[in-house]
Amino acid sequence: MRRWIVSLLQAICIGALALTVGCGVSIPADPDDTLARVTGSKLRVGVSPNPPWTELGESAPRGTEVDLVKAFAQTLDAQIEWVVGGEESLITALEHGELHLVIGGLTADTPWVEKVAITKPYAETRDSRGERQKLVMAAPPGENAYLLALERFLLAQDLR
Amino acid sequence: MTDIAFGRTTLPAHQAATLRRAIRFEWITIGFLVVAVTLVGLVLGNSQAMKAAWAEDLLSLAPPIAFLVATRIIRRPHTPKWPYGYHRSTGVAHLVAGVALAAMGTFLIIDSGAGLFTADHPSIGSVELFGSVFWLGWLMIGAMVITGVPPVFLGRVKMKLAEDLHDKVLYADADMNKADWMTALGSIIGVTGIGLGLWWLDAVAALFISFTILSDGVKNMRSAIRDLMDARATTFDNARPDPVIAKVEEYLTSLDWVAEAGARIRDQGHVLHVECFVVPVDGREPSVEVLTRARIAAVELDWRLQDLVIVPVAELPEEVAAASPR
Repeated sequence: MRRWIVSLLQAICIGALALTVGCGVSIPADPDDTLARVTGSKLRVGVSPNPPWTELGESAPRGTEVDLVKAFAQTLDAQIEWVVGGEESLITALEHGELHLVIGGLTADTPWVEKVAITKPYAETRDSRGERQKLVMAAPPGENAYLLALERFLLAQDLR
Repeated sequence: MTDIAFGRTTLPAHQAATLRRAIRFEWITIGFLVVAVTLVGLVLGNSQAMKAAWAEDLLSLAPPIAFLVATRIIRRPHTPKWPYGYHRSTGVAHLVAGVALAAMGTFLIIDSGAGLFTADHPSIGSVELFGSVFWLGWLMIGAMVITGVPPVFLGRVKMKLAEDLHDKVLYADADMNKADWMTALGSIIGVTGIGLGLWWLDAVAALFISFTILSDGVKNMRSAIRDLMDARATTFDNARPDPVIAKVEEYLTSLDWVAEAGARIRDQGHVLHVECFVVPVDGREPSVEVLTRARIAAVELDWRLQDLVIVPVAELPEEVAAASPR
């Protein structure tokens, strides 16, 4: 029984290694190829209004997080398609891969962590009660190459 | 150095030294596990396999704690209220540890299975360490490599001690430690799977780890319940009937006043509780002196024999007679 398990584990290890070396896969990879599909293409961003981070302007959203996302899209050479909506419907769309990013002054305490990927905090602020809040963004669940690229970009902005 | 006694059984020098080593190694195990639980807890992230491995490390604390608590309690002397002494505390501790493992294993199987069923894609992002940003998965794999190896060595040492001491909690603990590298490897495979974009590999690895936890729990429960139910005494690994049974029966049968003899032996934790039935030759009643001499000699056969009675009978009880080799 134990020997059987050992050889199975070995097979998986060798298989995984062969896959990595053979196909030149980079780690981490996206199960749904989000990073590759967004690069040089379209970045669909959900915006839930929450000034001063996100506000609805005359023609396009504005706010500090909107500016951040614009800069991020530039690094990917991607056009942004803004989708305005309520937080819950945006998160559901994100969970199902219909959006690539959701912003709206989300904080590290967000309950959406159960459904989608929440970035590391990129900045700190104080809410109306004077409590310290860590600002985050929401990404599709399990798209780890894309998540890592987004977090690298946010941390490089040095806003903390 | 004072003598160590389990109830009224004073440990022979060799076993006393073994016990001291076992206690030291269980403290080392606890120290290691506290470090491992902290380390793995810090990098846990969203990997279900890592969660299962972390839970297993946490639960691995139960057998060493059970051992350390039980080895204190069983030293208490017999009293009128506790006429059989406190030996059974080992079995009770063993059972508690087994139930905890089985319950956690079951919970994790359900949790991991649900994750697989609903196709949860685990998200693992970045970590910032020493000024550079990299994927947290690498840190998880590192933590599992570090924490996966030492238990194997601890397990090997404790296995030997468990045999010398005839201690089934120590045996179960050593057995679990020896297999711990599979848990570490399992979670490494799970995290590597996430890294490669194979989200399901994490849940599969978690299921594998959960099943090993459940199987450890069931094994421990069975062994503990066996002894608490007064099953025939076995060797420390439950592999075969304890050779001491045959030894006692052989000795009694060799006495010239004994026609037939059989023993009923139950494992009290370390020491054994023995009822010997003897059929005297020609039905002649043995004197108290003859019986006492036989008792003292029988107790000398093994350090675990102390609580031993010899009952002259006209005919061996069925279950004893059936088991005796003739």
